[in-house]
This record gives sequence, structure tokens and C-alpha cells, in this order.
Amino acid sequence: MRPPRGEVLQGTLDLIVLKTLDALGPLHGYGIAQRIQQVSEDLLKLNQGTLYPALLRLEQRGWITSKWGVSDNNRKAKYYSLTRSGRKQLATETESWERMAGVIARLLGAEGA
Amino acid sequence: MRRMRTLGSRLLGFFLRDRREQGLDDELQSHLGLLAEENIRRGMSPDEARCAARREFGGVEQTKESYREQRGLPFLDALWQDLRFAVRILAKKPGFTTIAIATLAVGIGANTAIFSVVHSVLLQALPYPDSKRLTVVWSIFGTEGRAPASGPELVYLRERSRLFEEFGGIWAQRGALTGEGEPEHVRLGLVTSNFLSMLATKPELGRFFVPEEQGTYSAKSVILSDALWRHRFGANPRLIGQSVRLNGHPITVVGVMPPDFKIIFPEGSSVPPEMDAFVPFASNLAQDPRDQCYIRVIGRLRKGVAIPQAQAELESIATQLRSEFTEFSEQALGLQAVPLHGDVVRNVRPALIALFGGVSLVLLIACANVANLLLSRANERQKEITLRAAMGAARGRVIRQLLTESVLLSCLGGAAALLLGSWAMKLLLSLRPAGMESLVATSFSLPVFGFTLTLSILAGILFGLAPALGTTKLNLVESLKEGGRAMAAGKQRPRNVLVAAEVALGFVLLAGAGLLLQTLASLLRVNPGFNAEHVMTVRLSVSGAKYQTPESAIHFFRELQKNLAAANGIDSVGVTSHLPFDDTLPNWYGYYWPEGAPKTEQNTVMADHRSILPGYFQSLGAQLVAGRDFDPIDTQENRPIAIIDDNVAARAWPSGSAVGKKLNVENGNFVRDTVEVIGVVKHIQSHSLTDQVRGQIYLLYPRAVRAHMAVTVRSNIDSQSLVRLIRREVANLDKDMPVYGILPMNEYVEKARRSARFTSTLAGIMAVIAVLLACTGIYGVASYSVLQRTGEIGVRMALGARPGEIFALIMRQSMLPVMIGVCVGLGLSLALTPLLSQLLVGVRAGDPLTIAAAGMLLFSVGGLACYVPARRATRLDPIAALRYE
Repeated sequence: MRPPRGEVLQGTLDLIVLKTLDALGPLHGYGIAQRIQQVSEDLLKLNQGTLYPALLRLEQRGWITSKWGVSDNNRKAKYYSLTRSGRKQLATETESWERMAGVIARLLGAEGA
Repeated sequence: MRRMRTLGSRLLGFFLRDRREQGLDDELQSHLGLLAEENIRRGMSPDEARCAARREFGGVEQTKESYREQRGLPFLDALWQDLRFAVRILAKKPGFTTIAIATLAVGIGANTAIFSVVHSVLLQALPYPDSKRLTVVWSIFGTEGRAPASGPELVYLRERSRLFEEFGGIWAQRGALTGEGEPEHVRLGLVTSNFLSMLATKPELGRFFVPEEQGTYSAKSVILSDALWRHRFGANPRLIGQSVRLNGHPITVVGVMPPDFKIIFPEGSSVPPEMDAFVPFASNLAQDPRDQCYIRVIGRLRKGVAIPQAQAELESIATQLRSEFTEFSEQALGLQAVPLHGDVVRNVRPALIALFGGVSLVLLIACANVANLLLSRANERQKEITLRAAMGAARGRVIRQLLTESVLLSCLGGAAALLLGSWAMKLLLSLRPAGMESLVATSFSLPVFGFTLTLSILAGILFGLAPALGTTKLNLVESLKEGGRAMAAGKQRPRNVLVAAEVALGFVLLAGAGLLLQTLASLLRVNPGFNAEHVMTVRLSVSGAKYQTPESAIHFFRELQKNLAAANGIDSVGVTSHLPFDDTLPNWYGYYWPEGAPKTEQNTVMADHRSILPGYFQSLGAQLVAGRDFDPIDTQENRPIAIIDDNVAARAWPSGSAVGKKLNVENGNFVRDTVEVIGVVKHIQSHSLTDQVRGQIYLLYPRAVRAHMAVTVRSNIDSQSLVRLIRREVANLDKDMPVYGILPMNEYVEKARRSARFTSTLAGIMAVIAVLLACTGIYGVASYSVLQRTGEIGVRMALGARPGEIFALIMRQSMLPVMIGVCVGLGLSLALTPLLSQLLVGVRAGDPLTIAAAGMLLFSVGGLACYVPARRATRLDPIAALRYE
């Protein structure tokens, strides 16, 4: 049986998007959505529409920029790429995520023991 | 930083909405397209692929909506929405909108106009460097109040004070510029060398005076006003360092003052705001007589020194001076420091505050009126609002929509008010009394604009809130069922409260205006001791080389008087050193006492000192109450005689006649003289129409020669030919003599009434506006209630009610709030009009007649406003009324 698909945790979508752009370079919204589903092996249930307000939010904060371009199959699409301050933000968020994950893991481990 | 960036981006998002919307749509479409293509690749049919893509993507509209929320400013978006809706709603009812905007424009415009005066007169600092530290320093002689200082006094102040940075002084004089071109009379300020630098940062050209230029016994340098430099010297920049002739003597121009320079001194200080030229004091101030008081002193406080501290220091200095010098102890000298600004506006402040209070009442009435309009419209809109509520609009959201409408309305009113206000400002400027002349700015400034905007928004909330709250507090089912008709009956109460409030506030304004108008009326009735009708006055100055000897000056005026009096149509001619109500020359006054009075009684009668030629009293129509007038023989023989007024007579000789008694005087050039009183004249009001500030002593011109005189001519000739005649006669005697200050005597009297005319006219206008507004309010409510009760009236008529009964029904109902308003207004007026006491003359606050008249007027006007709708109700056709829905 497939495990139930989890909702994207509040606040983690930013991190996921930033990381995706960091790994793959400039990408359009559809590409980002595909990548997330691919990496999560369909474990994450992402309502693809919710990506867009998040992209806008990141852009408003100056972490990513966007530019209109043409996709591989000749379709007009908006490409997002990471900015320098976005890269910095990714580093801080990664660090704080890891710290958090570590804490949770220890907490769960301790409970289990 | 990040927040600012987000806000900036959101703001951009708000303003570039349409473009971004297109972009968003493109982007989502492209996403869906890519998804569909992928699906096709997986083997779906194109239709299937598009459906699946939509499923996978989620709601496109929801995405757009949350994207929009992130993009713009939801608050601004909603406001924008509300505003557009409000504009549509207002445009749909042009009649209502126009009336509401006009009402608000009047209310807000009146406030804008008065506030701009309050702002420029009371709130704005004087245009002097660091003007907050400038004070006027008055000498106080016993109980006689404010007086100028003597030279030694100023010197002692400078030596002894530690809390003042510096003291400066001025004495307004007159002089003549001669040499090339027409001789020209100039207003001359004799100043200490630091005086001008206390009031201006730098001269337009050249320099200020230096201390070495003061006390040189004949002034060698002069600083010109910008106006004089322009019109007499053609704005020649090379004038600095050149010599001009002042009073016949050569003098070097060392500077020109900036164009906007004005001397703003308190009323009654005899320092006119416009001066043409300044010269340093020629005498050594320290060596002046200690009882020769003529210098108007200002002081600059050190940083951080408060007035009470400065006052304490001045008092201790005064104590020292009294104990050291007999002159000062005889004068019972005191010293007083008053902030310059506060002293300048001392006389206009109460009037301005009263007017400001008045216009706020006008605005409240205007707001009540608009609130009433909104209430009656709210009934019409009940269905729309109910529908919105039924469809799920939150109450807060509906209230916000309604408030947006009312604030938009009042902001439109505010915009109209700025136009109206600028027109009202012109009226204010034409009426402004002394004390404001030198201050009022003619254009609206940023603070005034800000005030109007704030006021508009507040007014919008004030008149919009109650109707908005009332309209939205509803029972959905009931109101959908009733279609708004039953609601209306319950709504009558707030409308009546508003009408009562309008009437009450209108009452206060009407009562206040009534009192102020009676003040003006009593000032018009008051007898100033002379008859100003048909009297023309001109000024002449006998200064300069031609008039070195007193004889030459006496000869000039006697000849001029003789020649003028001989001309056709001229009734009488007088010559005097001081015209009544003329504040442009320093007033001369001092102590006078009966010959042989003990020392202790020598400081009891202070009087203004006037130097005249026989004929003066006749030309002014003054009244001799005892003894005789001067005659030409007296002048010729230069007899030691005087005429005093009844004020001095009553104080110097409380019992018995003054005629024939001897009086100790000073001749105006600080020489003591003993004269015999030959006549007593009725007091001529000189400083105020109502207060006898000081009595007057009249000496013969030959015994008290002055350089600056005025000629008074009573005649029936029209003023233009009269002035031509005077100019011709003056030129016949001395072709170089400038004739200036040509003004009918009436103008001087009118100037004294100006302040009362200003306040009463404005209060009158406000009261008229208030009554008109209250009337429309009463009329509106009465008409509306007739409209609401049309069906009921129809039933009553069908059942046999006579028109008279219907009429009485409507009148009773509509007049009730008016009556309540009149009662409340009566109480308010009795409580509030005492605030006007300071402004009233010849009538007291709470005057029962005035208040009763105000109540009667409001009551009858209110009755009239109800009469029309009540009549209309009686003329209803019962059939039509019954069908009315």
C-alpha cells in the first residue's frame, strides 16, 4: 500500500523552491512543480497552483528574480532564478532546517528509548 | 529593509494591477499547457489531457485570488473597490451629492479660512530670527501701565541684566528726503545700532549699523527700506556708500533692508509696521534725561531663559533703579517683559478664538445636516444593504463601504472648501483689524491644507458613522419582508435628535452674533467727543534747514491756516500735533499737576499732550464745556495758557471749576512751564472709542513747537478738489513741502471700529449660515416624514380627517425637535456667551433681550420650514395617497 501523501509543511515550500532553483538553475513554474513531485516520489501532495503565490512572495523579498523566456517545446514561460541574497537565504534556511530536524529527531529518538 | 522592499513591490503590484494580471494569466496558461502536453505524451486525448491538467493544477481562480492577495495590498484593493463603488453611488444621485458637498464645503471652508488666519496670526512664529526669544520690555509708571523707556533706562538694562542677550530700541519719527526730485516725506526709525540685526538676519544690501555710529550727535549713516530704495532710487545697487539729503543734511546710505522686512510691534506702541528709513540714535543715550521716555525697547532672552525668570530679574533691576535715582522713584518705575508675539496678538486673540469656536459649531451643524441626508438615503438603500448582508457581507465590511462613501463625500466637500476658503480669505483680509495687518498670509500654506484634509476626514467619519451603524444593524428576515417601510418609522428618532442639535447649536451662534452686532451698533452710536463727518486731514512736517527756528515753523502753519480758512467753501481749519485714533506718531504724555500741589500729588494726573492752533476744536466739532477757546491773539502773544479736557479737570480739581487755575506742564520739548487753564473741552476719544485711556492737555503751538503736525479742514467741498486746494496752498508757502497722510477723519474713527466690525461681520455670516443649515435640516426632516406617512395620511383623510387636523399633526410632530433644540440652545447660550465678554461693549453676555430674540427668530424660521411640508400634506389626494407605496 502507498503511504498517505503528506501536505507540504507550512514554511517549507520556500525552502523547497529555493533549493530546487539552486540545484537546477533557472526554471519555470511547471518545471519546479515537476521537480518537486519527482524528488518527493509523489509523497508530497503539492497543489501546483499554490506554487505561484509562493514564487511571488520570494520574488517580492528579492530572493528570486523572473524573466519571460521560451520553453524547450517552444512555449512562452516565465523563468525563475536564484539571486545572490536568495542563495544566502537558502544557506540560513537550510541550516535552521537541519537544526530543527536534528532537534526533532533527538526528541523522537529519546522518546523511543 | 526587506519589509520596505516587499511593501514597495506590493505598491507596484497595486498600481500595475492590470498589466500584472495579464502576466499571471499568461503564466498559468503556459503551466496548464505544459501539463497537458505532458499528459498527451503519456497517451491521453487532448481533451482528457486538458481536464487532467486542470485537476492536477488545482483551482485556477483560487490560485489567482491568493496570488492577488500576495501581489497587491488587500487593504488598498478593498479601498479602491469601495471608492469606485462610492463614486458610482454618488454619481447616481447627483442632487443628494451636490447638496451634501455644498453643505460640507460651506462648513469646512469657513473653518479653513478662519484656521488660516489663526495659523498665521496665532500659531506661526514672527518672521524674525529666533523670534521666540524676543520680548517687549515695557516701563510701568505706577498704575499707568505700559510706557516707553528713557535712554538711561535702556543703558542700565544693558549693564545690569544677565538673562537677556541684548536690548534694542526704536523711536518712530518723521523726516523728509530732499535733494534731487520732489521732496519726500519719510517714516523714519531712530534705532539703537543693534535693533535691525535683532529683527533680520542680514540686510539686502550693504550692512547694519555698528555701535560707533550711535550717539554721534548727528546721524551720518542711514539704512533704507527696500520700497524706498526701489521707488526713489530706482533700485540702484551703487547707492551704498553714496550720500543723500535727509532733513536737509547729507547722510551716507550704508544698507538696504530685505523686501519683506516689517516691524511687527504691539498695537498702541506707536511703531508703524512700515518704515522708510532708519538712522541710529544721535544722542548719547546714557546722558539723556532720566524722565524723558520715548524708546520702545525689545530684548532677546538668553537661550533657555523663561519669561518668569526674566521678569524677576527686571523687577530686581527696577528696585535698584528706584533706590538709586530720584527720577525713577518719583515715577514709581517698574519693568515688564512680555513675549513679542504674545503682545502683538494680545488684542486679536480673544476674537480669533471666539470665531474659531463659532466656525466649529457651523461645521457641526453642517455635519448634522449631511448625517440627516444620509439617514434618509439609508432608508432607500436598506434593501441593497440587506441583500449584501444576506449574501454574506460582514457587517464591518458594509460599514467600511458606507464610511468610505461619507469620507469621499466630505473630501469632495473639503476640495470645494479650499476654493470657497480662498474666496473667504479675501473677505477676511479686507476686514482684518489692526494687529493682524502685518501678519496675515494671503495664500494657503501646507499646514492649512493639512488641517482641511484632516477636518474633512474627521467630518466624514463623524456624519457617516451613525447612519452606517444604524443601517447595518438589521434583522435580515424582517427587513427583506418589510421592504424598508417599517424601518423608517424607527428611524425618525435619530433624525429628530440631529435636528434638535442643529437648532441648539444655531441658537448659540445666533445669540453670540447678536451680542457682537450690538457691540458694533453701540460703537457706531458712541460719541467720540467730535464730529468726524466732512473733516479732511493731511500731514505736514516742518523739519530741515528751512525750519531751524521755531518762528519759521509757527509762521508757516499760521499762514497756511489763514490762507486755507479764507478759501471758498471751507468752514474751519485746525492744526494739531496728534489726530484722534492715529497711532503712527509717538503719543506724548506725562504728569501734570495744579500749581503748588504737594509733591505727593504731583504724580496723579497723567495726560496726553497736544499742541494746537486756535480753530482746531471748531474744525473737529469738539464741545467746549467751560471757559473759552484759544484765539489768534493768544497765538500772537504766545500766552502761557492751556485748555484741558473734562477728564483732566475732574481729576485735578475734583471740586470746583478748573478755569482760571494754574497748571504745571511740560512743553513737549521737556521744558517745564506753568500755564493758566482758560477752558475745558469735552474729552476727545483718541485711543479707543470706549475707554478714556488718558485725559488731554492742549497747549498753544508757539509754546510747544513740533515738527510733525496735522491739518484738519472742515468743509463741504468734495475731497478731491479739497486736497488739490490744500496742496496748492502748501506749495504757495513752501514748494518743497511734502503733503502726505491724506485721509478723511472718518477713516480714523472707522479704524477704531474695525476690530468690532471684523468679529461681528464674521459672526453674523456664521449665524446666517447656521440658521440656513438648520432650516434645510428641519425642512428635510419634515418633508421626509410627510413622505413616509403618505399612506397613513391617506387613510386618515379617507376616514374623514380635515386638512386642518392633518396640518396640525405634521406641525406638532416636526416642531417638537425644534422646540427641544430651542430649549437646549437657550441653556447653551447662557452658558457659552460669557466666553465673549472680552469682546462686548455696551451689552453684556447673556443679555436676555438678545437671547430671547435669537430664540424667537429660530422658532419662527423653524416654523416656516415645517409649514411648507405640512401644507403639502393637507393637499394630498387621498386616493393617490392610499395607493402610494
